[in-house]
Amino acid sequence: MKDDYLWDGSGEPDPEIQKLEAALGRYRHNQPAPAFDRLREIRPVEQRRAFFSLRWLPQLGAVAVIVLLAAAVFLVLRSRPSGNAGPSWDVARLEGTPRVGWHAIGDKSGPGKLGIGQTLVTDNFSRATITLDETGRVEVDPSSRLRLVTNGPGRKRLSLERGTIHATIWAPPGEFVVDTPSAVAVDLGCVSFIPAGAICQTRPGIGPGTPYLEDASASFRDALSKFDFSSTTAAERTALLGVILADARKGDVLTLWHLLSRVSDPDRPGVYDRLAALAPPPAVVTRQGILGLDRSMLDAWWNSLGFGDIYLWRTYEHNWSQRPPKVN
Amino acid sequence: MVHGILLARVPPPEVDDLVQEVFLSALRQLHALRDSSRFGAWLGTITRNLANDYFRKAIPVSKLTEPVTENHAKTGASDHAAEQEAKAILAVIRALPESYREPLMLRLVEGMTGPEIAARTGLTHGSVRVNLCRGMQLLREKLGETSA
Repeated sequence: MKDDYLWDGSGEPDPEIQKLEAALGRYRHNQPAPAFDRLREIRPVEQRRAFFSLRWLPQLGAVAVIVLLAAAVFLVLRSRPSGNAGPSWDVARLEGTPRVGWHAIGDKSGPGKLGIGQTLVTDNFSRATITLDETGRVEVDPSSRLRLVTNGPGRKRLSLERGTIHATIWAPPGEFVVDTPSAVAVDLGCVSFIPAGAICQTRPGIGPGTPYLEDASASFRDALSKFDFSSTTAAERTALLGVILADARKGDVLTLWHLLSRVSDPDRPGVYDRLAALAPPPAVVTRQGILGLDRSMLDAWWNSLGFGDIYLWRTYEHNWSQRPPKVN
Repeated sequence: MVHGILLARVPPPEVDDLVQEVFLSALRQLHALRDSSRFGAWLGTITRNLANDYFRKAIPVSKLTEPVTENHAKTGASDHAAEQEAKAILAVIRALPESYREPLMLRLVEGMTGPEIAARTGLTHGSVRVNLCRGMQLLREKLGETSA
């Protein structure tokens, strides 16, 4: 028949329907559904009246257990990839009416809690913060969707399904992780510091790049972007690094400082020399120490660059009245 | 089925959360199901009721629109174009009459066949077939108007 393909996929395929299937397939649900079907097998219609008879209690109990287990598996797979329990994050409204599930966080309802598996949603007009005393504070921008995946000791994991967040983390390095559609960002003790006026890009499957100032030259930004996301060989990266170093101005010391720990050992002396020429290191910093990525020396040099004390970056909340770090 | 019915009614970003709500609600009300052969229709009714509840909430509809810039970072230009096309098609289906909207969503999005839709929803084969055919015809017309 003419509509066989539409009816059951048999017959001659209809190209237009195939095109619609391909386009709309992205919305298809791909999670396992609870096994409710067992219910029908065990409770046929004609035995309806015997539903509450003791005779059927064992079977009904088994069905209930199966259904509950299936539903639990479904919900766990959906919302708790790793089941570490832990305290809930405190949710506070900054603007509008953010929601946790069905619960609106507003003036009247007061602060809320974000537990494992729950999702904080902000619409176009609302902002919120989530705070966990032992970990840090995360500010959630409008039009965002943030789920708490794991909250166990030593590992806090959020999933940013859409939107933007600004995190101030005081937990030990490596504890705080954010999954995003394009990358997994792990707080490694503030490996990337992005002050006001700076940008840090990310790419799917690659992750965050090197921060740079918004007013950096086009050639500098182009070479840095290729260095971070397109270069495949060591020779290619070395060549791009040459362009970056040659084009670096005094303001680009932010990028050069980050590059110290991002380039290969053979390339590091060149970065050191250029950074030292643009911003001479303090007395406590030695070339040998920087080439060996001595953390206290890297910190001391950062402190001399004028972007604020590194202790504040690592430990305390930055001044939120300033423009927050921007992640593209 | 639950996902498809919800997709026919509420904004796509809300669907996953509502799927969970539907199953939780179904578990809570399971004792009220008298005829297990009507399970699919019963679950479908719960799903539709929850979708209606969603719109009864105090949150203004205008605030629930999808952000225009959603996921731009994760998709390339071509993927973004495909996503926009899919959104446009979805919007057209969502504007169709309810009797056509659901079977089309289950067939084209969830990949279910007509017999499967009939089995899950409790509708007759004839009813599903008619709704699929008429709905598809209407969808072709609407898409034609849109592209024109």
